Amino acid sequence: MDTLYNIGLSFRLAFRNIISSGLRTWLTITTLSLAFVMILFFNSMYTGWEYQGIRDQVNWEFAQGQVIHPDYDKLDPFTIESGHGKYEKDAHLTPVLIRQANIYPDGRMVPILLKGIPADQQIVELPTQLLKESKANIPALIGLGMAQDNNLKVGDTILMRWKDKNGTFDAQNITIAGIFETNVPTIDAGQIWIDLNRMNQLTGLQQEATYLLADAEYNQTTNASWNYQDKEALLKEFYELIELKRGGSSFLYGILMLIALIAIFDSQVFSVFKRQKEIGTYIALGFTKKRVTFLFTLEGTMYAFIATVVGSIIAIPLLSWLHEVGIPMTSNVDQSRKMGITVGEYIYPLLTPELFSKTVFWVVILSAVISYLPVRKIAKMNTVDALKGKK
Amino acid sequence: MSTQKNETNENHIDMNTNNIIEIQNVTKRFPVGETEFTALSNINLKIEKGEFTGLIGPSGSGKTTLLNLIGALDIPSEGEILISGKNVAVKSDAKSALLRNEHIGFIFQSYNLLPVYSIFENVEFPLLLQKKSKAERKEAVMQALEWVGLSDIANKKPSQISGGQAQRVAIARSIVKKPDIVLADEPTANLDSTNAYKIMDILKKLNEELGITFMFSSHDSKVIEYLRRVITLEDGKVKNDETK
Ligand SMILES: Nc1ncnc2c1ncn2[C@@H]1O[C@H](COP(=O)(O)OP(=O)(O)O)[C@@H](O)[C@H]1O
Ligand SMILES: [Mg+2]
Repeated sequence: MDTLYNIGLSFRLAFRNIISSGLRTWLTITTLSLAFVMILFFNSMYTGWEYQGIRDQVNWEFAQGQVIHPDYDKLDPFTIESGHGKYEKDAHLTPVLIRQANIYPDGRMVPILLKGIPADQQIVELPTQLLKESKANIPALIGLGMAQDNNLKVGDTILMRWKDKNGTFDAQNITIAGIFETNVPTIDAGQIWIDLNRMNQLTGLQQEATYLLADAEYNQTTNASWNYQDKEALLKEFYELIELKRGGSSFLYGILMLIALIAIFDSQVFSVFKRQKEIGTYIALGFTKKRVTFLFTLEGTMYAFIATVVGSIIAIPLLSWLHEVGIPMTSNVDQSRKMGITVGEYIYPLLTPELFSKTVFWVVILSAVISYLPVRKIAKMNTVDALKGKK
Repeated sequence: MSTQKNETNENHIDMNTNNIIEIQNVTKRFPVGETEFTALSNINLKIEKGEFTGLIGPSGSGKTTLLNLIGALDIPSEGEILISGKNVAVKSDAKSALLRNEHIGFIFQSYNLLPVYSIFENVEFPLLLQKKSKAERKEAVMQALEWVGLSDIANKKPSQISGGQAQRVAIARSIVKKPDIVLADEPTANLDSTNAYKIMDILKKLNEELGITFMFSSHDSKVIEYLRRVITLEDGKVKNDETK
């Protein structure tokens, strides 16, 4: 109780001392709040992106996990040829078969990945019911990116050529039954989706798949010789990419933070030097040196307290608003998607309580440490000399 | 320096002894370069409760040094200083802080008010460290300001008042906690004679009516006029000790 009361007193005094000091204080506080807002802004943005990216990739591509044929490696297109095989049926698994093929839009030859997925699947958001509804010979789904790259629209038919299981080439027209819009470029660019049954007939690969999409109830008892990767494992690359970007942005606010911390350090050095008479007076009035040290440390830390309050008043409404309207990513979207990065047209920043409290914690702790370093000297100060105000 | 018996019941002022301050064989040396300078040598003094005593002597004779030792702001190189029978030098930082906060008031030549705070808050300051309610504090502050005749400027800042007023604020701050001793180091040195007399009148009245023991250091004749006991220091030694 006693200590609590005393800490409250020190807070009051520190606050009074700091708000009574001049323009410099406010410059430091402004810099620190700006750094604080930027930390929250960039990290919320990447968290939002990450959250959207996870949702999109799980909903469109990865499901809850994938059971992958042991010979297939998604990073190595040469493994497509042999990386498929018969699989055990499981109510919680949805098969996908991949083959290489070519299409001929406008007379050009374009190599593509032909993917077969059951038309009645519901595990991913691909609008495969369009494949069922279509009366065409080979109805196909493509992504908007693919459609734009090759000037394709719904109803178009184009020639497709592929190898069947014996290695002989076949060619038939496919009909675009639907164009889907997704933020996940790895199921869009250079890919054509058709019904798996139809694909089995076209290739002669009955009851075969390249990988199987798992739902939440899949318990890994079937297809044990295949490689199971849960969604976290599948998202690993994406997580790494976001962390990389996050790290890149830290440079921007890191500099501001550094400037603010140097300013705090500097004003603390100045305080200990210039306010010796005041320090002596505190001691004469009954302060212990420890308490004076605490008071001065708190004064430095007060910059962080005020900056986080001011910063929160700006950042919380701003980020809540941006969370609603989103930040348009127009300039980056095409380029990022060409690199296979999942990104929406808009990123909706996500300020989590964890990010917020972590940021406040670190800004305050760093400022406290920086504030304490110069004022440690008070403990060794001679009270009589301090009272005279001499060095 | 074995004073174990004095360490019990630390901050309770013993009423059985009449000597509120006892200075026993006190020597104070300061390091100066490679050597040492003896600022006080073998001082022995007893100050009774309620005295109005001054240390006088030329500049550099050791007046301030002795007051600082009594106020536990510094420690003697040799000897003991007893406040109400308790050795102040052996106290911890926390205990000597408590002693200063509860029992000793300081008045400085240059007032040492805290510029950020109002007059009221400056006077209230020592009480903030004590367990007193806001109402109790307010009453004590207003009473102290009344003693020095400054109730009407309670809300001003130190920068808005004159030197004479500032020293009266410092007096209010030193007595607001009802201390046993007030140590006043050259309290009139920065004041004109009108203000010097005004201050001394106030201090005299506080001594007579509240029974606070006052110990001055001064070479101002206006101060000396008021003193009941004059201790003359010269080169760090007591040269004369005279009670009027
Ligand atoms: N911290 C110190 N270091 C060295 N010498 C000091 C120190 N403090 C005081 N002195 C010396 O001690 C002597 C007494 O000083 P002081 O007590 O301030 O004298 P007075 O108050 O009587 O003018 C002076 O010669 C002064 O120079
Ligand atoms: Mg002096």
